[in-house]
Amino acid sequence: MLCLHYKRINIHLSNTMVQVSVPPNLIDSNIGYLELKNNDIHCSKAFLSHIGKPTKNKKISLDFFIKNLVHKDDSNQFRNNYYSYIKNNLPFRQSMLILCKEGKYKEFVCTTNQNNVNLNTSKTKFLFFNIRKFKTNKRVKKHKFYYKEVAEMTSTGSWYVDFIKRKSYWDQQTRRILEYPEDYKPSLRRASSYYPKKDYELAKKLFYKCATNGESFNTEIKMLTKNNREFWVRAKGKPVFNDHKEIIGIRGIFQDIDETKARELSLQRTSDIIASQNKRLYNFAYIVSHNLRSHTSNLSLVMELINTTKSKEEKLELISSIEDIASSLNDTIEHLNEVVTIQTSTNKNKSPVKFSESLQHIKMSIGQIIAKSKTAIVSDFSIVDTIDYIPAYLESILLNLITNAIKYKHPERDPVINIVSYIENDKTVLEITDNGIGIDLEKFGGKLFGMYNTFHYNKDAVGIGLFITKNQIEALNGQINVFSEVEKFTTFKITF
Amino acid sequence: MKNKLVELACIIDDDDIYINLIKRIIETRKLCENLIVFKNGKQSLDYFESLLQDTDEDKIPDIILIDLNMPIMDGWEFIEQFTKIKNRFNKSITLYIVSSSINPIDIDRAKSLNTIKDYLVKPIVMNQLESIFNESA
Repeated sequence: MLCLHYKRINIHLSNTMVQVSVPPNLIDSNIGYLELKNNDIHCSKAFLSHIGKPTKNKKISLDFFIKNLVHKDDSNQFRNNYYSYIKNNLPFRQSMLILCKEGKYKEFVCTTNQNNVNLNTSKTKFLFFNIRKFKTNKRVKKHKFYYKEVAEMTSTGSWYVDFIKRKSYWDQQTRRILEYPEDYKPSLRRASSYYPKKDYELAKKLFYKCATNGESFNTEIKMLTKNNREFWVRAKGKPVFNDHKEIIGIRGIFQDIDETKARELSLQRTSDIIASQNKRLYNFAYIVSHNLRSHTSNLSLVMELINTTKSKEEKLELISSIEDIASSLNDTIEHLNEVVTIQTSTNKNKSPVKFSESLQHIKMSIGQIIAKSKTAIVSDFSIVDTIDYIPAYLESILLNLITNAIKYKHPERDPVINIVSYIENDKTVLEITDNGIGIDLEKFGGKLFGMYNTFHYNKDAVGIGLFITKNQIEALNGQINVFSEVEKFTTFKITF
Repeated sequence: MKNKLVELACIIDDDDIYINLIKRIIETRKLCENLIVFKNGKQSLDYFESLLQDTDEDKIPDIILIDLNMPIMDGWEFIEQFTKIKNRFNKSITLYIVSSSINPIDIDRAKSLNTIKDYLVKPIVMNQLESIFNESA
């Protein structure tokens, strides 16, 4: 094993040779090192014994090392890895041929890390060289065929952006992935057409950082094919340096990971659904325990009072209060029952429902309330009118949100309720906006959909409607969001 | 025989049945001279804020029993707001949480707050009520 040792020293200050002491317990006596100073490499005896003596005083230049000792097929890669390592501390591992005694090349594996021994400090960096024990098969090494095969089977295309010539290059595989013809010439000027808008911003940022700071990137990003199909790609890129440590380009790969990503996303969705169901169940258990407890504790309080009271009249009075407790207990049980029904009936009875028809039913059933409150309901279902849903739920959701809007109308104006449906991200959305008193979301947002939470001095407020609505929507994998400004409006947005 | 009575007690709770029962216990046991009741945190906070202007000591309760789950302003928010102003009263006010929540999160949170003397879980037992009133007398 040989060790190439780099010591970073201020170039302008010193020309004297610095002897570097390598901790003997870390590197055995057989290992040499190369000390690099002012772009000169000082070779150790062990290293020299391998490569022979190109110079008298154990001193060679980095340039000489890269140009004359490293095989030309490996030198560019080595230079890039090496500068990335020094500039950005990016570890690497590279197989390379080095010219040894008698003009023969030997294959080494150059790494920045040997057996987890880390000798690197901010000033001192080491490169380790191991002689490769099993030589790379010549057929694999020589034949581009194998690389092509790998590229094709893993759907990986490579590319290069040349800053000097101001040109971009794609290999055939990249063209194939992006559905461009074989003679297509890529260009940075057209880069915005290779990505969806949002991802283009990310791509620009990554390229910019790589070009200016030499930061490599490895990311998952959406790209656009020539046919405007969006798909997921793993994009990796790293800077290419010239002999003066200047970045002259970026080299990288695109790998088509659309299928894997789709599976990952669907798994993520499933996991989200399970998490939300779990949360609802937990919530429900808490609600059951809490809501039933408040009644049972009242009951036991009554019993204690009855037992300690001697007056018969008072006893009778207390017994009558049991009636009140019983009736509120009953209400609670009914509410809980309603929630349980939602959880258990999600699988059945989905059928095509029309928003317009559901709304019509509700208008009829609460016609009096609408008329009395002088509520105007304006609806527009021209974009989407039909969805696959449980009809009773849709009506219940609409009913709750409409009565809510009327309940919390602004005292100084007649209620106007706007209902509109549209498509967003392939999903049907229903928006219900009123001109009522609104709600302070900063204060109450977190509790708005909780059970028995009411926020206004309103004697009709029970605090169950929005809780049920949210449960119905979520039980069918939908979402409900609220936007509001106090004294102005409230919008409920349902994503089905 | 008790030597002294709590002058004024304050109950903050939205459960009418509970309030009626507690009132009854306090009256029959003669646990305090006067009792004020609020239906939520906001109402009671308004009351205490008005007391800052008008420093009539008789109107400042010696003891507060507060529920956690209430509309408009819940127990936690009241306690937070009350903690900010409690030192401006010339009287020490003892605050108890009386809730039917047995959620450990609530109980731990109550323990972490200095303003709160104790956390009582409903149903509150008569003797318990008696002893906290005697302590504050």
